[in-house]
Amino acid sequence: MASVIGASEAASRPSAVGFIRPERSEQFEEASKALENYKKKDPSKVVVRFKAVGNAPIMKQNFYKITSSNRFQAVIQFLRKELGWQAGEPLFTYINLSFSPAPDDTVANLFKACGTDGHLIVNYSTTQAWG
Amino acid sequence: MSAYGTTRQPGGGPPPKDKITDYHTALFRRLAWEGTVPVEIRVDPKELPANSDRGLECYYLQAPRVTYLPLLMAEIRRFLMDVVFDEAAASSLKEEDWWFETEEGAIAKWHWPLGLIYDNHTISMSVKGPPPTPNATATPLRLILHLASPPTEKLMLSPSQEACKQAFMGQLKEADFIRWGSTKRVTGLRKLEQDGIWEGIKDHNFDDYWKVASKVTPSAAASNAPSPGSSAHTRPPSNDAPSTFDRDGAYSVRSVPVRIYLPDGPILQEVVPPLLDDGSPNTLYHFLSTHLSMLFPPRPPAPPPSRAKPNPQPPAVPQLAYAMIQGVIAPQEAEMAWLGVCMAGADGWLSICVGINRG
Repeated sequence: MASVIGASEAASRPSAVGFIRPERSEQFEEASKALENYKKKDPSKVVVRFKAVGNAPIMKQNFYKITSSNRFQAVIQFLRKELGWQAGEPLFTYINLSFSPAPDDTVANLFKACGTDGHLIVNYSTTQAWG
Repeated sequence: MSAYGTTRQPGGGPPPKDKITDYHTALFRRLAWEGTVPVEIRVDPKELPANSDRGLECYYLQAPRVTYLPLLMAEIRRFLMDVVFDEAAASSLKEEDWWFETEEGAIAKWHWPLGLIYDNHTISMSVKGPPPTPNATATPLRLILHLASPPTEKLMLSPSQEACKQAFMGQLKEADFIRWGSTKRVTGLRKLEQDGIWEGIKDHNFDDYWKVASKVTPSAAASNAPSPGSSAHTRPPSNDAPSTFDRDGAYSVRSVPVRIYLPDGPILQEVVPPLLDDGSPNTLYHFLSTHLSMLFPPRPPAPPPSRAKPNPQPPAVPQLAYAMIQGVIAPQEAEMAWLGVCMAGADGWLSICVGINRG
C-alpha cells in the first residue's frame, strides 16, 4: 500500500520565472493557529488514587492532584519519590488492576478513558502482576 | 476457520457470515498489514568508530508499518558490523546504548510502530517546510543512529525486544480495556498465544498474527440495529441464521481505541462510541468535528429547499486539515467502529495523524 505524502499538490504553481513558493495561504494560517491552540498545555489537575497491591507498602497519603498534561512516566517517578524507592528497585504500576499504560500516555488521556468516580486509580506493586 | 476475518464458531458448523463484510474486513486488514515504509539509517558521522568504511555507513530498508525499531536492530547491526565497522574498533560498542533520532532532532521511540513514526514525521515536515513535489515517490524516513549516551528518559523503554514485547502486550490490553472495560479477552489468551501474536509481528506473518488477534479483535459486522439515513449499511437479513445483535462486534464496544497525533504534539485520546445517540454510526467527520472543531469545522446544515433549489446542498467548508490513517488520507464518512477493527495498528490502536493543508 503506497504511503501517501499528505500535503496538497496544488501548492506550487509554475510561472514565467519557474516555481514561486506561494505565501502561506489564509487557510494554512488558520490551521496553524488552531494547532497552536491545541498545543496549549491543559493546566487542570486529575485526582490520582494510588492503591497498593500485594506486599507493596501503603502510603499515608493516597490521593494526589496531578497535572493533566503529565505523562504517566512522570507519575511513576512521583510515586517512586513518595515511596522513597531508588530507580533500581522494582516498581510495577497498573491502571484499574488491568493494564500497564504506555509511558507517554498522559494523565489526561488515561483519566478520560479509564477514570472511575472522578479519579484515576493507579495500582502499584513490587512484583509483576498483570504484566 | 478463516484466517482473514474474525469468525465466531460457537461450537459447530460454519458461522453465519456476511460475505461482503468479511471480504472487506480481510482486504483492509491485509492492506494495513502489508503496508511498508522506506527508511534510511545513517550512523552519526561523529560517532563512527575508527577505521570505519566511510561512505557506506548508510543502510536502506523497506520495513513493515507494523514493526518496531527494536525488531530491526539485529539486521542493522549485522550490516554495520559486516560492512562498515572495523572489527577491533567496534568491539567496544554496546547495542543497548544505540538509539535513533530524526534529522530534526525528534527521538524515535522504541514502542511506536514504524508506520506511526513515519506518518507523524512526514506530517510534521509538511507543516514546517516547503510542500513536497507532486507525484514524488515516498520520501524515506531519515534516521540518525547514535551509538552512545541514549537519552533514557525520553526513550522511556530499554531498546530490548523483550521490553518492546511487554509494551506491545500492554497496548493490546489497554485497547481491550477501552473497548470492553476489562482486559479478560487478552489475559484469557494462553501463554502460547500471547507469544504467538508477538512472533507474528517479529516474523511479519499475517496468518500467525491474526490467528491470535481474531480472538481479541471485535468482528467488523455492522449491528442489525436500524441506522437512519445510512442505507449503505443495511444488509439483507441472513437466510441461514436468525439475526442477532453481535455483542462482541465492533459496534458493541463502549469506545473505540483511538489516538490522534497532531504534528509536533499533543497526542489526544477521547471516548469514541461506535454509535451516536440517534443510533447512526459514529463517523470520522463527527468525531473530528466534535473534538478538533477548529481544524475540522462542523458543516452547517443545508438551507431549506426552495423552488429555485429543490435539492440544496450544505455549504462547503474549507478543508483545513486531513486525517491520515496507515499512510492514507481517510474519507470523512468512514465509520469509527469499522476503522477500529480494519485499519488499526497491530497493537489494536487506531492512530489518526492529523495534517494541515497548505492550499
